[in-house]
Amino acid sequence: MNINLEVEVVEKESTAIVLLAGEIDAYTAPKLKEALLPFAEQKGILIEVNLEKVNYLDSTGLGVFISALKATKESGSELKLVHVQDRVKRLFEITGLDSIITIDTTVRGGK
Amino acid sequence: MKELELDLENYRNLLNQYITTQDETSLYQAEQFSKLSMQHNISPEEIIHVHIQALRELYPDLPKEVDNSMEFLLEAMISYGLAYQEFQSLREKQLELKSEISVAASMQQTLLSTDKPEIEGLEIGAISVPANQMNGDYYHFVTDYQGTLGIAIADVIGKGIPAALAMSMIRYSMDSFPENQRFPSEILQNLNRVVERNVDPSMFITMFYGLYNPLTSSFKYSSAGHEPGFFYDAKKDEYREIRAKGLVLGVMNDVTYEQFEIKINEQDMVILLTDGVTECRVGDRFIERDEVLDVIKQYAHLPAQEAVELVFKHFERLQDFHLRDDFTLIIIRKNV
Amino acid sequence: MNLRSSVKIQQEWDIVGARQIGRDRAKALGFGTVDQARIATAISELARNIYLYAKNGKIVFETIDDLQHKGIRILAIDCGPGIDDISQVMEDGYSTSGGLGAGLPGVKRLMDQFEINSEPGKGTEIRTVKWVR
Repeated sequence: MNINLEVEVVEKESTAIVLLAGEIDAYTAPKLKEALLPFAEQKGILIEVNLEKVNYLDSTGLGVFISALKATKESGSELKLVHVQDRVKRLFEITGLDSIITIDTTVRGGK
Repeated sequence: MKELELDLENYRNLLNQYITTQDETSLYQAEQFSKLSMQHNISPEEIIHVHIQALRELYPDLPKEVDNSMEFLLEAMISYGLAYQEFQSLREKQLELKSEISVAASMQQTLLSTDKPEIEGLEIGAISVPANQMNGDYYHFVTDYQGTLGIAIADVIGKGIPAALAMSMIRYSMDSFPENQRFPSEILQNLNRVVERNVDPSMFITMFYGLYNPLTSSFKYSSAGHEPGFFYDAKKDEYREIRAKGLVLGVMNDVTYEQFEIKINEQDMVILLTDGVTECRVGDRFIERDEVLDVIKQYAHLPAQEAVELVFKHFERLQDFHLRDDFTLIIIRKNV
Repeated sequence: MNLRSSVKIQQEWDIVGARQIGRDRAKALGFGTVDQARIATAISELARNIYLYAKNGKIVFETIDDLQHKGIRILAIDCGPGIDDISQVMEDGYSTSGGLGAGLPGVKRLMDQFEINSEPGKGTEIRTVKWVR
């Protein structure tokens, strides 16, 4: 199995923008966890995760977001997911996580 | 560790043969020689030692430099020999672990297994196939003295032994609810508290719980983030999604679950599944939910148990006999 | 006759000196080429551990040559930090050897006898023996 996830982080004042590309599954979830958790444990910041280029997310990936969410609740930070694609968004909806994590969606641009 | 005294002659002859003929047969025999040596735990440095001795016997006038270079090589190969022995030992340990996991897996199957209940007028088909040794999906049937049927289907997120332990937690919690408190929304609410307290931050469980009353034909249900099943309305000859929104178990400790109710009429079907069914990859892409439904429709006319087994076989073939995730499917049909 | 000598391990090139003495003694005792190399490697591993972790210690060589046995005893002694969990460092696959097969399990495989005593905060003593075949 290839490591199929790219993670890029841009820090701006009290915001951490995390840009993801690829798939989040059992193999790539640890990489996401490594990137997210340190920010989630910091106090009073906003973590904006951009999922525009993420075309697959499975339950292991959801687990990482749940851990991150729990950590932000404890540290008083905020987790926000932006540009979530349809298939991934559906997963957040079915699991009810869209009612506890801020999710901004977008219609995929282009044709 | 054995001395290769006996085989020095053999090695020398093979070496000589190759130097003279450079043919493939000699190289093949070299392969056989090394396999036999490994079976006898001969280490790389011993092979080099034999090689040095063979060389000296074959070419007594060989320059000293070549001799020295071989001694240098021998020293270098000792680390490889140690690494190989470590690898062998770890391989044995892995086999031991695998067999322990096998035992744990069959214990899990026995402890958590459920019988399909015999309920008059109801046909039940159920299948659950793990992708690996331990099944992360779980389903359970429970009946009470009034003939009410409780159906639970759950998917524990997380793999292997921790997931199996989480499942035991569900099963024993469920079994411990008093008979008159088996309402779906309450069960999920209580289970959520148990799971949230006991499971690690990234683990969670999706679950659907339904309660069927054969006297009133009412089917009450709640879902904790579980993959929606389907309902077949025989009168309208229509399939509908069983929508019931709720948060997955184990994330927050104070969650309430909405309860829904439908009436099950003759020839109606309730189809429950886990995402091992819907997350099927067909070639390069993912299967769509209506495609999943199409497959189910193909076999829905058959007896429930036969239907679930054929649907499974269909998906198994689609994925080249290589399940990505645990596959669980339940079909309940009202016959009368 | 039981000759005993020792070498201080303080710098990396002391490891080389220890190897040399070990190999010379092994040769004098009649060990074959392969066993000489194994003994040198074991000494190397032990001395390297002292150099890396204890910073200061010694390798002791003893010749065993009586009517019944012939062999070499190698001791690695230091007053370093000691080992917290001996069973962990003796396990195959433990991280510091990282799949290289070396480490203390490797030393145990190279020699015929292996004993280890360690106390956190006090130091470590490893005793190994290899017999002439």
